[in-house]
Amino acid sequence: MPLDKWAPAGWHWLLWALIASGVTLLLLLLRPSLDKSHFALTYLLLVLAGSAVGGHRIGFALAVASFLLFDWFFLPPYGTLGIANAADWLVLATFAIVSGVAAQLVHRLRREAASARERTIEVDRFAALGASTLNVANARDALSAITDVISQRLRLETCRIHPMLSTLRSGSSAPDSLIAWVIANGCTAIGIRDGTTRLTSASGLPDAGLDDACRVLLPLHVRDRVAGVLEIAANRLTIAPAETRFLNALIPYAALAVERVELEATAGHAEQLRESDRLKNALLASVSHDLRTPLTTIMAVAHDLGGKDPRAALIEEEAGRLNRMVGDLLDLSRVQSGTSLTAVELNAVDDLVGAALQRVAGATSGRDVRVTLEDGGTLLLGTFDLAASVRILVNLIENAAKHAPDGSIELDVARRGAWLELRVSDRGRGVDELDRDRIFAPFYRPSGTLPDVQGSGLGLAIARGLAESQGGALTYLPRPGGGSSFILKLAAADLA
Amino acid sequence: MSHPKSMPLILIIDDEPPIRRAVRNAFGDAARVIEAATGSDGIDQTAASRPDLVILDLGLPDISGLDVCREVRRWSPVPILVLSARHADAEKVALLDGGADDYLTKPFSTTELQARVRALLRRAAASPETGATSITIGELSLDVSARTLRRQGELVHLTPTEWDLLRALMTHAGRTLTHQQLFHEVWSGRQYGDAQQYLRVYVAQLRRKVETDPLRPRYITTEPGVGYRFIGLTDATG
Repeated sequence: MPLDKWAPAGWHWLLWALIASGVTLLLLLLRPSLDKSHFALTYLLLVLAGSAVGGHRIGFALAVASFLLFDWFFLPPYGTLGIANAADWLVLATFAIVSGVAAQLVHRLRREAASARERTIEVDRFAALGASTLNVANARDALSAITDVISQRLRLETCRIHPMLSTLRSGSSAPDSLIAWVIANGCTAIGIRDGTTRLTSASGLPDAGLDDACRVLLPLHVRDRVAGVLEIAANRLTIAPAETRFLNALIPYAALAVERVELEATAGHAEQLRESDRLKNALLASVSHDLRTPLTTIMAVAHDLGGKDPRAALIEEEAGRLNRMVGDLLDLSRVQSGTSLTAVELNAVDDLVGAALQRVAGATSGRDVRVTLEDGGTLLLGTFDLAASVRILVNLIENAAKHAPDGSIELDVARRGAWLELRVSDRGRGVDELDRDRIFAPFYRPSGTLPDVQGSGLGLAIARGLAESQGGALTYLPRPGGGSSFILKLAAADLA
Repeated sequence: MSHPKSMPLILIIDDEPPIRRAVRNAFGDAARVIEAATGSDGIDQTAASRPDLVILDLGLPDISGLDVCREVRRWSPVPILVLSARHADAEKVALLDGGADDYLTKPFSTTELQARVRALLRRAAASPETGATSITIGELSLDVSARTLRRQGELVHLTPTEWDLLRALMTHAGRTLTHQQLFHEVWSGRQYGDAQQYLRVYVAQLRRKVETDPLRPRYITTEPGVGYRFIGLTDATG
């Protein structure tokens, strides 16, 4: 804090000189009737008053003056600085020490009070800034509130905050390479007036070494990452220690404001996503209703015609196929939108396999599905979504029936540690190595697919999506001896 | 059902005229069909005409199908067959718990509709839920008073829970029972721990006792995401 503010004005000196003279005159009049200790105490009072009101310089001046006046006028022999009585030396020395110490103490008290006042003002300023940055309606306003405060306090020409996201996004203005460095390293960079740059290894404004600086870039840390950069610049940066403290204290506010800008942007984006998700779901629901109702009518009419026209059976069949495709598309969009399955619970493998076999009974048209259950006589249990898992198995078995028209289809179920492994194998031509991942992509049909194999090309994509959305997995393995194996892994469970 | 005097009366509640026409055509001379285009009209007609069966579409303009179901169920035991365009399992469960007897997902074939309606009418006519002391379906014969089960004439040992479960399924043969309904039938009034969670385990154990091949059940079928169904007389004999 600036001590020079305390240098007393000339009239202060005059005033205290007059007071000291007045007191001395008064005491001189009373000299015959008072003891010397009374004079000493009175002068001490004067020194204390002077220190408290006029500051430490006046206090010390008064202490010296009082010492001399006391000795001159009130210690015999009067009118000299000499001392007649040896015991009076003690009085004089005590007076000198007490008045000196008292002046010093009063001075220190005043200084601490002043610095406390300064701090209070600073705290109030931060509190006001914090409140205003937290309360502004728009996060961007908070940023400008902070930069305004900084540039006023530090008399800056430029004070800007660069949020990291917009810095990286703005393709038009090439991001300042120095800003990029600060973001990448999380350390302060200092631009020197001669055009060079000094890179530091610490964040925050350094206490020293800014004499020749014209621009400083400070990283704004939010937890463990750099959310943005605070740039301050002036033709001649002059920053007092108090201002360094002020700026370093403000940096967390700036970081919070930047984070708020980011959060607002994210929240806006999430809101948009939710809205588009809601629209998509509404669209799907309406599509499924609006497509299925006419399909029902078509199938009913075709059925009515049944006996009279052989083409009616074809209409009914094709309507059924159309319906399956609509269902596939709906399922795929559901899987891809990441809707998690809510019915993941304890289930028995018996239920899963039984329901799947019942569903495929028509599609495999009498083809043998050989089931091997490695259960050792006990029930195999797992935590999975039954309906979704049935759908996966049905897709795999139907897939095998389509692509491997001959030979049996095998379903092997076994417990492997924490997993249930359900393996659907066929003796078809298998899948080329190149295609082994692509067969799980929507609408992909591998080259060499049998010509009369019908399907939307969605079955495996849906199956894998459903497997993964319940924490399982679906993979392909070539089968030794020819053919394909699809392996579905689901979480196994034990009876508690 | 061919005799005019025993011709059942079916009420179809659906706002889509083509569906109403399709249902009407499906039954031809086998049933009389009356129509309602809104839920409230459907409830009124159910009360006024006392149909033998209600076919209820879920996508009604005025009231949700579930509410129609619950309202009718408050004062009428008439069988309700629900038509739904969505195939959300949660919706089916809510409907069955709300009093519907069966559901069909659109698009359905006419044959399927006829079969479901026939089964529901026959079940309603037989009303086996009271009075029957023994139920025989296929090779299984359940003696309700003696609490025994015979398979091809031989006694099968069942635990009390398995027996209650089988009785619940067999007395509602042909009908899908939700997990909630089964739980209520078997465990209500009893001390239970995680019984509801282990319903699936009990069913699997029961199957191993009554089915020749538990993986290809002839009697107790799984309706994934909904519940279980004991194959009805019509399914078994038809």
